[in-house]
Amino acid sequence: MDFTFSPEHVALRRMIREFVENEVVPIAAELDREHKVPYEVMRKLGELGLLGVCFPQEYGGMGAGETGYCILMEELGRVCTSTATNVGAHIGIGAMAIYLDGNEEQKRKYLTPLSRGEKFAAFGLTEPGAGSDAAAIRTRAVREGDSWILDGGKVFITNGGYADVVTVMAVTDPALGARGGVTAFIVETDWEGFSVAREEDKMGIRGTSTAELVFEELRVPHENVLGKVGEGFVTFMKSLDMGRLTLGAACLGGAQAALEWAIRWAKTRKQFGAELAHKQSVQWMIANMATEIEALRSLVYRVAWLVDTGRPFTQLAAMCKMYGSEVASRAIDMTLQIHGGLGLTRDFPIERAFRDARIAEIFEGTNEIQRIVIASNIFREHGVRIRP
Amino acid sequence: MKVIVILGRVLDPRGIVINRRRGRIFVNREEYLLQPADRCALETALRIKDGMGADVTALPRGPLPDDDVLRQALAAGVDRAIYIVGRADSPPYDDAAWTKVVAAAVDRLGGADLVLTGATTLDTGQGQLGPRLAEAMGWPQIVGAWTVEAVDGKVQAVLQTGEDYVAVEADMPAVVTVLPGALKLRYPDGVRLVDIYRGVGEIAAALEQWNVADLMDTEALVPLLERRGQDFPPERERGTRLAGTVEEMAQAAADALRQRLRR
Amino acid sequence: MEFALNEEQRMFLNMFRDFAVKEIAPRAEDMDHEETLPPDMLQKAANQGFLGATLPETYFGAELDGVSYAMLIETLAGASMSVAVTIAAHVSLVAMSILEHGTEAHKEEWLMPMAAGEVLGGFALTEPDAGSDVMALQTRATLEGEEVVLDGVKTWVTNGGIAGLFLVFARGPEGVEAFLVPRDTPGLTVGYREPTLGLRSATFHTVYLEGCRVKLANRLGEAGGGSVVAQRAMDRMAVALAAAGLGVAADAVEVAAQFATERVQFGVPIAQKQAIQNYVAESFIEIEALRYLVYRTAWLIDQGGDASADVAVAKAFSARVARTVTNRMVQVMGGYGYMEDYPMARKYRDARTLGIVGGPTELQFVRVAQRIFAGRDVEIVP
Repeated sequence: MDFTFSPEHVALRRMIREFVENEVVPIAAELDREHKVPYEVMRKLGELGLLGVCFPQEYGGMGAGETGYCILMEELGRVCTSTATNVGAHIGIGAMAIYLDGNEEQKRKYLTPLSRGEKFAAFGLTEPGAGSDAAAIRTRAVREGDSWILDGGKVFITNGGYADVVTVMAVTDPALGARGGVTAFIVETDWEGFSVAREEDKMGIRGTSTAELVFEELRVPHENVLGKVGEGFVTFMKSLDMGRLTLGAACLGGAQAALEWAIRWAKTRKQFGAELAHKQSVQWMIANMATEIEALRSLVYRVAWLVDTGRPFTQLAAMCKMYGSEVASRAIDMTLQIHGGLGLTRDFPIERAFRDARIAEIFEGTNEIQRIVIASNIFREHGVRIRP
Repeated sequence: MKVIVILGRVLDPRGIVINRRRGRIFVNREEYLLQPADRCALETALRIKDGMGADVTALPRGPLPDDDVLRQALAAGVDRAIYIVGRADSPPYDDAAWTKVVAAAVDRLGGADLVLTGATTLDTGQGQLGPRLAEAMGWPQIVGAWTVEAVDGKVQAVLQTGEDYVAVEADMPAVVTVLPGALKLRYPDGVRLVDIYRGVGEIAAALEQWNVADLMDTEALVPLLERRGQDFPPERERGTRLAGTVEEMAQAAADALRQRLRR
Repeated sequence: MEFALNEEQRMFLNMFRDFAVKEIAPRAEDMDHEETLPPDMLQKAANQGFLGATLPETYFGAELDGVSYAMLIETLAGASMSVAVTIAAHVSLVAMSILEHGTEAHKEEWLMPMAAGEVLGGFALTEPDAGSDVMALQTRATLEGEEVVLDGVKTWVTNGGIAGLFLVFARGPEGVEAFLVPRDTPGLTVGYREPTLGLRSATFHTVYLEGCRVKLANRLGEAGGGSVVAQRAMDRMAVALAAAGLGVAADAVEVAAQFATERVQFGVPIAQKQAIQNYVAESFIEIEALRYLVYRTAWLIDQGGDASADVAVAKAFSARVARTVTNRMVQVMGGYGYMEDYPMARKYRDARTLGIVGGPTELQFVRVAQRIFAGRDVEIVP
């Protein structure tokens, strides 16, 4: 067993830390206030190769593996959940689907510009009646010669408002349902029939675009079928597994930032004649936070190692997302409590972090869904099949 | 055009706590940074490379225990880096001794048109290496530059003296030291970074290792300085809090300043 | 013991609900996003008697008993916690302080306009370096003949944006003192408004006092009696805030239960999923426990006597219930719980402030611990 990071990952973290301190920290509050997407930051990340951090160098990536990607997400999550979410939706699920199941031509055509930040990606799964329930998808794709005609729409699509490429899941055979009847497509957003209907006003991660997409007789060439016809569900689930792990990494960063704020404030703020650090109520909060964060850190990087060494990780990725989001929420909640009134005002980043942290328990499959995934995996090993 | 840039490292001050009363420095996180002024020298070298094309080689400032700063330089874009390993049993090299090593290395590299390094170091506050090297090579030197440009066999720089900026020029080959904060070092390229730290790809061959003993007779490397212990400067006096009306406080502050000037 | 509401209380409750549903709920989202509280809404509340809720009829108050008042704040908070807290601060912090500690002249001058909604009350206790620590106040009250000069900075002044009359606490020669300071008094400036996580329609301002001169007769209570005024006011407010927490939690469950009935996933309404049932059931149990705790504490206040440990129990429990219940209900609504177009995100943000506004939960724990260890020969200090 070796729990140290390799030299390239140490160097990568140093590079990313410097980047986020210079480029992201100064704009994080503004993104939230003005409801702006960090477009410039995304572009710069692409130029440095960081948007392809986990993809092979032959497709414009950096080749730093899932561990490298987790480092990126942790460092982004530490300073700005919005930016982390933009990057996560772009790399972790949008481009990831193409990397996992795209053919050589699709990878050259799409993954390379996505890795370099010349194009941005989104992941089109959720529908009004189908969140984590992929079998309830209504978007239809009908074969017409060398093309497919897509009709329907998607909601709550992160990056949906500005993405150039969206991977879309659509029903190709209603009779077969989720297993065999849905197919993944690579859709370019400037094609006729694609439109963005609206953008949501959210409690947090306000520096992200969460859009409703509409497809009206959208013609997709057959060569843009991602993976095999009828196997879209598998493609999307594999991408979500990856996304869950790195979401856990972003939560790790958020929780770590919360702990650092709490320590700094507890050292300086005096109440009733002593610094807060001398109050046991505060000490307990800090101790609990620090312990949970260490447990999460071990979990996240262990799962990254599983991915990088080709071992199975689905159940543990669900744990990363579920536990990570809950650790982050608890940590920021305690930090807010330690800051008192200062934690409630939008002039300090804690209030924003509190609103931002809440989404992680919801998106990319609610924590309830993660628990179902974990339980199904456990019971499957014991010969019991769980239905959600 | 051949440019050599000399780079050193410094303990990240954010990871240390100084306890004056006990006269000790506690290192909580042992992490090293590229010397801030050397960062600027590196960026200067890379800009010259971008602007007019140059072959940039990085050398270490001192016998470093590892080659991390050179890998950083390679990731940022230098063409070649030489990690020079000192003899394990030799006394610690000071700038005087290390200058001889660097001069020998520059000769071995076939000379250079321009040598760049930081004008000062963050930890010891010294900036001797640049001027000493210029003396050793018999080259002109420019110390403490804000901007550096190479034009027609000459190097031009802007220095700051007091409140004035002064443009100076020297014939190449020359040694120029760059001020910290003059430029912001670019971010490394992701692919180069991963490859050089993994030691794979073309870039891996760009990092070489030389031994001091191969360059020169190490008996000649006698340091001028000997370190006999450490001491801390006295703690700064505490300020006094002024009270009264704004006018009274202003008067009191002015009086205190005058007295201090008289002293 | 009598746990049923009497006929009068039932009638009041219907009236409160009617008002909350018709007047507040339809505008709650817009108010929150615009961070305003429409004056006409407060005027309507005044017409209903809410702004003089617990004042005697002599001053045109509604003379509600403690339990009815708690139900009022609870019901208003169900629709908008901002409205509930604004009215509670006006009534519990300022109007009731005047009634309890004021002279006849004070009551004559202020209570009727306050009940009528012509003058709203603001509460100026907190300072940059004195949050919950009343003894650390820096604002000074200097006696000059029959006048008092106030100098200092007050932060997080509740109702700072709309108050016509401030209850200001300052350190005088004989200890902490409380003064009634009208908004137009020279030397009083209402400054920065805190942009807050929740309670965005309520206003919290910084108030500057620079050579602010009021008559000594504006002092509420005796010389050096300000900490009693503050403590009593905070106690009353703690019950009101506990009631607000109850209201926001109870309404959150209503909204989420409706959602769970309509939202179909994996072929059935999610209400049929055990995880959702557990969330709702657990929340309901906590809300019921809180409900009777709040009502009992409100009743206890009516009986007089020192109830500061009891109100701490109610406030701390309410802050926790409001926070955990709204947190679970966001989860029930999934993505829709996070969208600002639906009320749950607002309820979640509002509910979280309860752990801090009116004194942090940790301080309430200290008060409760003081009660438990009382007479046991140990000294409990915060």
